[in-house]
Amino acid sequence: MNTVFPNRILPYLLLAPSIILVLVFFIYPAAQSVELSLYRVNRVRDVQVYVGLENFERLFHSDSYINSLTVSAKFTVAVVVAALTISLALAVGASLPIRGFGVYRTLLIWTYALSPAIAGVIWALLTDPAIGVLTDLLKAIGVNFNWRQSPNDALIFLVMAATWKILGYDILFFLAGLKNIPHDVLEAAALDGANSWTRFWRMVLPLLRPTLLFLLIMNTLYASFETFGLIDITTQGGPGRATNLLIYELYQDGFKSSSRIGLASAQSLVLLAIVATLTFIQYRFISRRTFYQ
Amino acid sequence: MSAISASTTETAIIYEGRWRRRFYPIIMHGVMLTAVFLVTFPLIYTLILSTQGTGLGSLRPGTAIVENYSDAWSRAQMDMLIRNTLIVALAVALGKIVLSIMGAYALIYFRVRGGMILLAVVMLTHLLPLPVRIVPTYDLLTDLGWVDTFKGLTIPFFASATGLLLFQQFFRTVPTDLADAARVDGAGPFRFLVSILIPVSRTNIGALFLIEFIYMWNQYLWPLIVANSARTRQVQIGIKQLVATDAVIEWGILTAGAITVIIPPLIVLLVLQRSLMSGLSASTEDF
Amino acid sequence: MSNKSRRILFTLLSLTLLIAMALPGLATAQDPTQITFWHAMSGSRGEVVQAIVDSFNEANPDVNLVAEFTGSYAETLTKALTAYSAGEAPNIVQVYEVGTRTMLDSGAIVPVMEVSGGELDQSQFVEPILNYYAIDDELRCMPFNSSTAMLYYNKDMFEAAGLDPEVPPATFSELYEMGQQIIESGVAPNVISFGWPAWILEQMYAMHDQLLANEDNGRSGLATETYWNSEFGVQVLTEWQKWAQDGILFYGGREYSANDPFIAGEFAMLVQSTSSLGGIQRAVEFDLGTAFLPTLDGYERNGNNVVGGGCLWTMAGKQDAEYDAVWRFFQHLSSVEQDIFWHKGTGYFPASNAAVEALEAEGWFEENPNFRTAFDQILAGNDTIAARGVLLGDFVIIRDVVGAAIEDAVVNGVDPQQALDVATEESNQILEDYASLIE
Repeated sequence: MNTVFPNRILPYLLLAPSIILVLVFFIYPAAQSVELSLYRVNRVRDVQVYVGLENFERLFHSDSYINSLTVSAKFTVAVVVAALTISLALAVGASLPIRGFGVYRTLLIWTYALSPAIAGVIWALLTDPAIGVLTDLLKAIGVNFNWRQSPNDALIFLVMAATWKILGYDILFFLAGLKNIPHDVLEAAALDGANSWTRFWRMVLPLLRPTLLFLLIMNTLYASFETFGLIDITTQGGPGRATNLLIYELYQDGFKSSSRIGLASAQSLVLLAIVATLTFIQYRFISRRTFYQ
Repeated sequence: MSAISASTTETAIIYEGRWRRRFYPIIMHGVMLTAVFLVTFPLIYTLILSTQGTGLGSLRPGTAIVENYSDAWSRAQMDMLIRNTLIVALAVALGKIVLSIMGAYALIYFRVRGGMILLAVVMLTHLLPLPVRIVPTYDLLTDLGWVDTFKGLTIPFFASATGLLLFQQFFRTVPTDLADAARVDGAGPFRFLVSILIPVSRTNIGALFLIEFIYMWNQYLWPLIVANSARTRQVQIGIKQLVATDAVIEWGILTAGAITVIIPPLIVLLVLQRSLMSGLSASTEDF
Repeated sequence: MSNKSRRILFTLLSLTLLIAMALPGLATAQDPTQITFWHAMSGSRGEVVQAIVDSFNEANPDVNLVAEFTGSYAETLTKALTAYSAGEAPNIVQVYEVGTRTMLDSGAIVPVMEVSGGELDQSQFVEPILNYYAIDDELRCMPFNSSTAMLYYNKDMFEAAGLDPEVPPATFSELYEMGQQIIESGVAPNVISFGWPAWILEQMYAMHDQLLANEDNGRSGLATETYWNSEFGVQVLTEWQKWAQDGILFYGGREYSANDPFIAGEFAMLVQSTSSLGGIQRAVEFDLGTAFLPTLDGYERNGNNVVGGGCLWTMAGKQDAEYDAVWRFFQHLSSVEQDIFWHKGTGYFPASNAAVEALEAEGWFEENPNFRTAFDQILAGNDTIAARGVLLGDFVIIRDVVGAAIEDAVVNGVDPQQALDVATEESNQILEDYASLIE
């Protein structure tokens, strides 16, 4: 790092706002979460009772919380795998050096502009029992699809909507990563078929590894948290608790009840532990593979 | 190429090569067009629905387009929603850009004792997405009196590890000659930043603006709990309110509202798409 | 103008300005009193609310009442309470029956009797409504939009299936038999759906005079135990599960989402809030019938349908002038004219006896028999403790718990006893948490 300017105080002043914001809105609330998780709190009446680790004990003895963990894991894995596979294939396709392919690079990324909530509205429309075109299509091939009536359908429905919405984002980042790949590799892949595809993957995957790592982390966070709007606008966690993801459970306890703020804080900390572990694993896993290649 | 041709005869390769050269692009166009159709169809169907008054669910556009869009506009108070969301999205996007540039500038062009530690602290924010601290952050807002205000909707989002890294990464690639020359010319740190560094960072600024604008435009959970009144309500919550609190879902109006809400981020995406591509292709490595 | 007079003028002007700044109360005395009203009525209902608010503002130029739609019932309740802790509460908030206990215990409200300075005449209200919202015989909030659940049915489908369109099912077993006939005749693949299933289960308890919680359904003290898994509850849910397994029950979601397929003719009957009547009647293209909720075989209709919908609560910590304006709005709202306007526009009950009499006199119920059904149903029952409805702390999430249990049984095939055992245990835990922070 080259120190160009000799000023002593200026750099700290420049950094100060960011640091203060991080301390006030990230570190302090996170610390507060730890404290709140040891209490039972009624926010409106401003009453709190110390309960030690009871909130955590309760979480891990609660069938409905264990269910939320399982459902979240299933949902997240499904969305991340589906989204990354489909978007990688489409991004590679759109990067082929064939005349006129530039237009696909624009036509495939637009779902990035959508919110999960609007994706929910759109997929609820497609699968509406009365007017959904997808419902009719499925009925024609003998499949009765109804996400209000079937826990499986509900999860599939959410995975489809969530994956569809994130495709644009993933494709965009893959396209950016693919820009660094030499043209002749792509050309060979385009023209010579199977054998050069193998060669292609062998060359492309290492080059895409940073993008892949980044998207893996971002998609995991997306599937776990950003999909709140999608769920809230469609299944609301049901039927039963089939789609009651961790984030939805947290919202219910933290904001819809008046006396479970402590329990909600304990859930926050569990989420924090999960996010940290996953990020760490993903980082380790991918960067080690990078080393050995 | 030679590795592939080893097992086949010369003529076969020429024949196959020609065949491929002619038909492969056509087949690939077919594949990609199908993909585009599949990805876009849900939106097209929504668009069709938003024109229908009666006979919902057919694939033929209806005639209720004006009614649906104007009903959605007035019922959801769309003008207010769009204004409110624009304020939030622009404030956060610009705020993050300014703060990230300031931070990255300090780290790269000055001697900062403990710079790595400070950077690590900011990086920690990656591990603390809003949901894991939502309850105490809301309580903090209550204490600050920021519930139902634009401050409450924007300021907690201002700190940005992504932005700081993006600019830090980029500033490293800016030739040091530039800064040295500037110093020799007698330019102070401020003039160097404004007249040289910021102009060469255009694409990165565009990229970060795009990411943050869309991110904020699509916020749902935070506005759901923070924005109580129509004064601060955000578009996504407006859409939720068109959905199902009444006896009957009016699909024509709901879809018209959804389409309306998609338009602003779509415009930003189309305009800044190129910036994002070039801004990102070099710098996703350390995210 | 001379220099001197200019100076005097300037001094006078500055003095006026100073006084104006020092006494903001004086300077703004002519401004209307601002009050806010948060509600959960969107779409066509929201428009009716706005019309009532507009007429109030017009008649009271010294008050400016701003009504705002703040989301679903649950969200509106949550927002009002969190806003109260943040010092940003509205003056009036519409809270559904589920929030009654939470509002009472919140310390964030002023009882309506106090707001009215004792002027409120409780006897003006229709009895079952009064009974629900009166605690220890005193109203705590201003009754506004009250409803119960009733049975809606498609007469055309009944006819097509060879059933008498004027004879809807009166019991569960009749409903099941008619349902089988509808399916066999090929009129529709499914027969019935519910709106607000957890609330319908509560309706069943009240209608058949079954208690849902200890402490007299939470009316003589804080309830700490619920009876979702009582023999009665399990029996109701077992029936529903059987209907679902035989294709009779089409599960349609937790709030209003079953209305659409009913209107589209996907099934023949719908159990839904009486407040959907306005919307459904406008939208259907078939001959619409309405009836009382069918009873469970082996039990009598000894209780009554319980009142649901919303009540207007006044939030604490405001200026006297604002309370005065709130009370004037309540009076406006409960005037016979507005009450009738509200009823006709939405399907919610007219809240006052005077409005009911006026509607009778103009022959409204004769012309609109479907509006009559709801009313007759609620007046047909008995006033018992169970029929007055249950009050539970944090009922908002308890209802979600019960909603999930019903879905588990009806959709996911979980044994009803087991599903309700879980719901009971979780509800009791929520009540225990709640109570531990109240006492």
